[in-house]
Amino acid sequence: MAKFYVNIVHRPEMVPEYIQKEAEQGRVEDLTRASVLRESLDIFKTQQQIAHDNGLRTTIQMTYASLFNEEAVAIAKEHHLLYGDEIGLTFLGIQCKEFREKFHSRELAIWLFSMEDKRRIVDELFSKFEQVFGFLPTSTGSYYMDAELVNYIKERYPMVKAAVATCWEEGPKAYRNANNSWYTLLDGGPWNPWIPSKRNIHCIASDEEDDIGIVAIPHLSRDLMAVFDGPGSYYGTHPQNILRGMVYEGDQLPYFKNIVDQYRAMHKYNRGYAYNMMYVGPGWMSKGGRWEADYALLLKSYQDGMAYYGELKRRGELEDLTMSEFADIYRQGRPYTRPECTLWKDILYGSRRQMFWYADPWMRFCLDMNQGGALVDLRPYAAKLVRPCGVGTQANQDASYPFLVQSLYRAGFFTHYAGEGAVKSCKIGYHGEQVDLCTCRTQASFSEEGDTRVVTLDPVTIVFETVTIRVQSIFRLREGSGEIEITRRILESSDPAAEFSINEYLTGCYGTTEYPEDLTGVRLSLIDGGQTDTIDYAYRSRELERAAVDCVQAVLPQVDTLVEMRPDGPAAGYLREGFSFSPMFTLGIQKTIQAKGELRTWLKVAKAS
Amino acid sequence: MAQGRKGKLNYRCPRCLMREIDMDMLYDEDRDEYYCLRCSFTGDENEVKRLNQQFREKYRDRLKRITDF
Repeated sequence: MAKFYVNIVHRPEMVPEYIQKEAEQGRVEDLTRASVLRESLDIFKTQQQIAHDNGLRTTIQMTYASLFNEEAVAIAKEHHLLYGDEIGLTFLGIQCKEFREKFHSRELAIWLFSMEDKRRIVDELFSKFEQVFGFLPTSTGSYYMDAELVNYIKERYPMVKAAVATCWEEGPKAYRNANNSWYTLLDGGPWNPWIPSKRNIHCIASDEEDDIGIVAIPHLSRDLMAVFDGPGSYYGTHPQNILRGMVYEGDQLPYFKNIVDQYRAMHKYNRGYAYNMMYVGPGWMSKGGRWEADYALLLKSYQDGMAYYGELKRRGELEDLTMSEFADIYRQGRPYTRPECTLWKDILYGSRRQMFWYADPWMRFCLDMNQGGALVDLRPYAAKLVRPCGVGTQANQDASYPFLVQSLYRAGFFTHYAGEGAVKSCKIGYHGEQVDLCTCRTQASFSEEGDTRVVTLDPVTIVFETVTIRVQSIFRLREGSGEIEITRRILESSDPAAEFSINEYLTGCYGTTEYPEDLTGVRLSLIDGGQTDTIDYAYRSRELERAAVDCVQAVLPQVDTLVEMRPDGPAAGYLREGFSFSPMFTLGIQKTIQAKGELRTWLKVAKAS
Repeated sequence: MAQGRKGKLNYRCPRCLMREIDMDMLYDEDRDEYYCLRCSFTGDENEVKRLNQQFREKYRDRLKRITDF
């Protein structure tokens, strides 16, 4: 039977960024201003009451500031006793008078402190929490919790079992959306709960040794299409985010329920399990209104959202859990190799577009059915990059997990005038004509064959000048293999004797943002038995080809990743080096086939070292 | 010129919003208009609302309840 688990999280923030910012208009900053503290606490109480009125339990994440507020502490204790709410500890909302006095910093993001400061802050917050409540929390979180931070927490406080650990695809897009002033550069993680790797929080742990010891949950459940190409804070299970995105008319925002229902439907792809997370900070329900919405609408949207969860619970279609309860259930009988996947459909723009998202310990990727199933995002989790962030690290604010393909940051199929963009697709040629499947919109369906997840695309029609063919793409994902098997099959041809070239390719690079990175040092290889031809990347537009290959590879030392494509039988392989105006590499496998023929290849990513 | 202040609601610049940049505007009481510090937009409340409505139109399913998944 399908299970839909929901975590509702509230925090008494005391000095929310947004309320404080508004209060600052024309006034000097004052973290102790009574009106701000009062309003924030009132909002927290309102949120708690709305949840309880709908029969829902919450996880109360105490902020550092709230640990000094007797009323906030008393409410948490009372609600724990009365309703069974969990009392956890968040690293959001650390800024307050006491923090300033102790740490002499205006930094608000835990992941951006130096490691030394992170340790001091962790110890201070946990010890203050224990002093106030008499026990230690088992759940924690922030917008982002880097692996180094969580490893330290687990070393010192092993009882912690759950954390809000990242905001899905909150990276360069969120930064730009916030007038280049919001430093949550966190792209590249899973969209649903996962057990993180000790090496990098974005990566899914591959085994017990790699298990960081917590279940991570994303900050909100995001729209997997809209947020890939837009700001995360417009489209998710956060009614005020939806108001910010203006996805409403009057006081109606059915989009909230549509997101919830699409997440509920994910049980079809994930062995009967689905999940949602709602976490609205008090700053979003300011009495002065937020964005273009007045307080009445902010309140109503929250009430309506919570009422929907309450209704689902009454119908027996939702289980409200606290974060720690969820962590226990999530781990039950779940093998490390089990992937998270979903075939997401557009619920916003009125198109029929679908995107297939997949994440396992080896990779996260996305297929875009609007582009014939082209792979438009690829993150090599198998590399398990140790990539600390914060002051004193090389990454500093850039906590994203690198991509090999990101078609929006690095062009994809469509480029302006010259060069190539990052995408994995297939080109079919006939007598001097060539068609890329990126130009063939289609739809997909999902099925399972034992431990293999199968994404089958509807056939597309390609019309050449003198012949017409029907081509189908099938993606097979065998659990634990760390590979994508891709089959391109010509189902029909108006001329059965006609021969077509079929060219499976990956154009890639690496990075975390829109800007190019230096590809010097990347090694491209064609491998056939004992023979290997290589190109060491130097922006010289070189190309190599072999009539028969076992595989084609690229090794990217900068992200410690090997990416490889191999065919299932005799096929040619080629490599293409880019140039400075087209900083990409291309790996390709091709052969000639007739109607009923196919090309089958495997794509693999691995740790290079 | 009047000192720019926040208006009665926290209006963002509708032109910046079109390119998904959330940029709060200031309100000039003397001219009864909002203005953007980034893109040079100026307009009264009605103009802001008109453009916000235009922004919404990209969401063709914004009022549709979708249950078939």
